[in-house]
Amino acid sequence: MKSPALRVADLPLRAPRPTPAASLLKLLGYGLAAAFLVWSYQGAEVSPVKLFSDAGNMATFAADFFPPDFSDWRYYLEELIVTLHIAVWGTVLAVFCAIPLSLVAAANIAPWWIHQPVRRLLDAFRSINEMVFAMLFVVVVGLGPFAGALALWIHTTGTLAKLFSEAVEAIDPQPVEGIRATGANALEEIIYGVIPQVMPLWVSYTLYRFEANVRSASVVGMVGAGGIGVVLWEVIRGFQFSKTAAAMMMIIVLVTATDVISSRIRKFFI
Amino acid sequence: MLKNTHGALPAVRIAHLSKTFGASKRALDDVSLDIGAGEMVALIGASGSGKSTLLRHISGLVRGDRNAEAQIVVDNRPVQAGGRLSPDIRSSRAGIGFVFQQFNLVGRLNVLTNVLVGNLGRMPLWRSLLRIFNDEERRLAVTALDRVGIAQCAFQRASTLSGGQQQRAAIARALVQKAKLILADEPIASLDPESARRVMETLSLINRQDGVTVVVSLHQVDFALRYCQRVVALRDGKVKFDGPAAAVTAALLRGIYGDNTDLDFGTLEVEPSERDGARSAMPGPRQAALA
Repeated sequence: MKSPALRVADLPLRAPRPTPAASLLKLLGYGLAAAFLVWSYQGAEVSPVKLFSDAGNMATFAADFFPPDFSDWRYYLEELIVTLHIAVWGTVLAVFCAIPLSLVAAANIAPWWIHQPVRRLLDAFRSINEMVFAMLFVVVVGLGPFAGALALWIHTTGTLAKLFSEAVEAIDPQPVEGIRATGANALEEIIYGVIPQVMPLWVSYTLYRFEANVRSASVVGMVGAGGIGVVLWEVIRGFQFSKTAAAMMMIIVLVTATDVISSRIRKFFI
Repeated sequence: MLKNTHGALPAVRIAHLSKTFGASKRALDDVSLDIGAGEMVALIGASGSGKSTLLRHISGLVRGDRNAEAQIVVDNRPVQAGGRLSPDIRSSRAGIGFVFQQFNLVGRLNVLTNVLVGNLGRMPLWRSLLRIFNDEERRLAVTALDRVGIAQCAFQRASTLSGGQQQRAAIARALVQKAKLILADEPIASLDPESARRVMETLSLINRQDGVTVVVSLHQVDFALRYCQRVVALRDGKVKFDGPAAAVTAALLRGIYGDNTDLDFGTLEVEPSERDGARSAMPGPRQAALA
């Protein structure tokens, strides 16, 4: 019901103006953001001019890539398949570790004195790039694809366990209570009440990470951890850019194919 | 208070149970209640009167306040005492079927698996964790589904069922538990009238045929009076009435729900002695025994 005192003509058309203090604070925020951008510009030595002044170099360089030299394609293909194997095992090992870790990292499953330390551990796993882990594992298990798989395993465990535990925290607690009310223990509550609810998300996250791992697996080889990355490293260092172009094209095909196939699989599971 | 008809220890004994949420919200206030084996009891009361809270305490899903005399015993087993759950709470729960307002089935599991869960209390852990159920357990589940009338849905995902069917699946789960006590927390509040009637019929049938004790909280007073012999009314966490359904009057309900209630008490506006004929659509053997 309309109150007689308030007519449409009296209703405000715009939100009230912010107070001077709020405007000043906003302005200060924009200023800080701008200052940060300028500072990083210098730090990163960004100089678009170079792209133009050295345009000649760029053109020569680009021309070296063509035509791509596919003469060693059998070798590239073998290494690409090794790359795929690295990605598969890096992901599979990570999934096995991420499942228990994600459960103990979920606030609705584990008390804070368990889930907080586990989350910090996962942060550590995630904060170090695969390449760094790859260099370390090369030292441990020697040059070769196994070092790559181990590197992907650690990093992917960190990401997947975090994503998995977020899914666990978003479940509907009522079905779990239904299971609990039948006298089930904590493990049975998880098997019957939690896992069925998170399964579609877990599958989806796993496939996303697998796609990402195919890309990552193609570079861990550059530090000696096997796969097509080794090839890339060799041809780039040898300035064989037409061969580099061929290897890069084959990587693009592999990554695109994985994306397409895994999105098909994902639809199947949801 | 009604005498329990079998003369044995009560199926449920609640003594001096209180529950405070937060700093001062008294959900239950010194509730003491005995429920005899084989009774079908309705818990009524306005929203927030403590019906659900009381039921959840009986199954040990919530712990009461820490006063020394407080205790809940179900089927001679302590569920909780003095605000602490009994160490073998899980085996107690295995003998208590719990039916929830929102059904609480696992939507992505099929109906049969949801019902098979009722077996967990009797299974070795390795089989329950691997979801390996033997033929006997499966037969029990299929029989229970058949009994509640949804055997044809066994292999559908639970989420594809209607509300009424889901609630009957939840009752089937309690049957597989071989529960001696079924607690139903507003089991029909989310259902259409016809589904509500079927769910109440099913609970009533299990109560009469199997002698299972049923405690059901209900929003609709007419359902309470039609299906239950005994009515316990709560207001502000206190038991305000406990007696045979036949003794419930409109004046009493106004006292429980408050004067400004918009509930229609229908035939209850008539004095109890005059309305016998009006409400005997559900005679049932136990009603006769209690008269």
